[in-house]
Amino acid sequence: MPQHIKRLIGVFAVFILFFLVLQQVLKPDSFGELGHFRAKAIYENSLRPMHYTVADSCTKCHKDIRIDKDLGFHIKLKCEVCHGPALAHSLYAGNFKDKELPDSLTLYKPGERKDCAICHELNAARIKIQFDTLNTTMVHQIDVLTHHPFDPKTKVPFKCIECHNPHQP
Amino acid sequence: MNDETTKLSRRDFFKTGTVLAGGVALATASLIPYDGLLFASEAPGAKGKWYGIGIDINKCIGCGKCANACKIENNVPRDPFYFRSWVEQYTIKNDGAILVESPNGGIDGFKQAAPTADIYKSFFVPKMCNHCAKSPCTQVCPVGATFETEEGIVLVDEEYCIGCRYCVQACPYGCRYIHPEKGTVDKCTLCFHRLKKGLQPACFEICPTEARIFGDLNDPHSKINYFLKNHTCMVVKPHLNTGSKLFYNALSPEVR
Repeated sequence: MPQHIKRLIGVFAVFILFFLVLQQVLKPDSFGELGHFRAKAIYENSLRPMHYTVADSCTKCHKDIRIDKDLGFHIKLKCEVCHGPALAHSLYAGNFKDKELPDSLTLYKPGERKDCAICHELNAARIKIQFDTLNTTMVHQIDVLTHHPFDPKTKVPFKCIECHNPHQP
Repeated sequence: MNDETTKLSRRDFFKTGTVLAGGVALATASLIPYDGLLFASEAPGAKGKWYGIGIDINKCIGCGKCANACKIENNVPRDPFYFRSWVEQYTIKNDGAILVESPNGGIDGFKQAAPTADIYKSFFVPKMCNHCAKSPCTQVCPVGATFETEEGIVLVDEEYCIGCRYCVQACPYGCRYIHPEKGTVDKCTLCFHRLKKGLQPACFEICPTEARIFGDLNDPHSKINYFLKNHTCMVVKPHLNTGSKLFYNALSPEVR
C-alpha cells in the first residue's frame, strides 16, 4: 500500500473517532430510544399544570345547583363552560366555608347580555341546529338587539338573568 | 417536412413510448390511493391506544369556548394571533362568494357575516392540530424536536427545539406558531398532561354541545369509532395524504 494512502486512512480514522466521541458527548440523554427524538420529552410533556377540572368535582359541593340544572335545558352544560377553569377552586375552596374566598379562587360569574349572546345570539351559521331533526342538540336563538333590550319605563338595559335563571332558563 | 421531429423512426417511437407508459404504470401501481378513514380501522404497527378526533360541524354553535379553554389550559398567549385551537365561521353567499372569518379565534363570539337573505349556507368549523399519522411537520424538523408518539399524538420537545420555523411552514393546516416568550414552536398536544391522568383534553371537556368527540381508534367500542361509523366523515385537505386523524362530520368542500 502506498505511503500516502496509509496516512489518509490514519487521518480518516482519527476524524471518525473524533466524530463518534463528539456525538456521544453532544447527544442528549434518551435520544433515539423510540425514534429520532428524546424519549424523555414525552414524559416532560405530561408534566404541565392543569387548569380545568371535571364536571363531577363541582357537584360534590354545589348539590342545589345540580338539582336546578338537571330540571332545565342546561342539563348537559358543564359548569366550567360559563364559570371558567375551576381546578384550583374545586381543590381549595372547601377550606373557606365561612370565610370570604380569595380572588385567586373566585370564579367568573357571567351575567351580562354578551355572556349569554355568545351561544344564543341569532346567527345564520347557528340556526340550522333548530331545524335539524337528527340532532338532539338545540340551542335557542334570540335576537339580542330586539329581545327586551331595556325597561320600557326607566330605559335601564335589562340583563338576561333578570328574567331567566341561568341554571334553569 | 424536414422538421427535427420527423427524424424519429417508427421503432424508436414505440421503444420510447413503451418505456414511458411502463414507467408511469409502475409508479402509479406503487402509490397507495388515499383513504380518508385508513387509520380509523387500523394503526400502522401501533399497540395500545391510537387517538383520533371527531368534530360534528352540525352541532357546533361557534361559542368559541374550546378556543378559550385551550388558551387557559395550555398558557397560550392571549394575543389574537396565537392559537392551538380556534373556530372559523364560513359564510357562502348566494352569489358564490365565500367569507371566512375568525375574530380572535372565536373567543368573543361571532357576528353574522351577511344579511340572512344573502346567505346560501353558513356554518362553523372548529380547527386544531390534526395529529396526522404521516405528519409533514415532524418530517421536516432538522433536530428531531417534534415527533409522533406511539399513541398517534404529535408533540414538541421544547428543550430541544431551535425555533427554526421550518415546521410552521410545513403544516398545511396552520396549527403551529412560535411562542413569543420561549422562542420555540408550540402546538396542540391534545392536552397530553390531561390524557396521562385519564381525563379528556380541555376543549373536549368544555364543548357545550358535545360537537367534539375524542377516543381510541383501536378500541371498536370507543366513542370515536361509533361517531365514524354513524356519520359521513371527511378530513381536511385529503389530497395531501397527511394521514390526518381529525374527522369532520358534514364537512363542506369549501373548507380549506
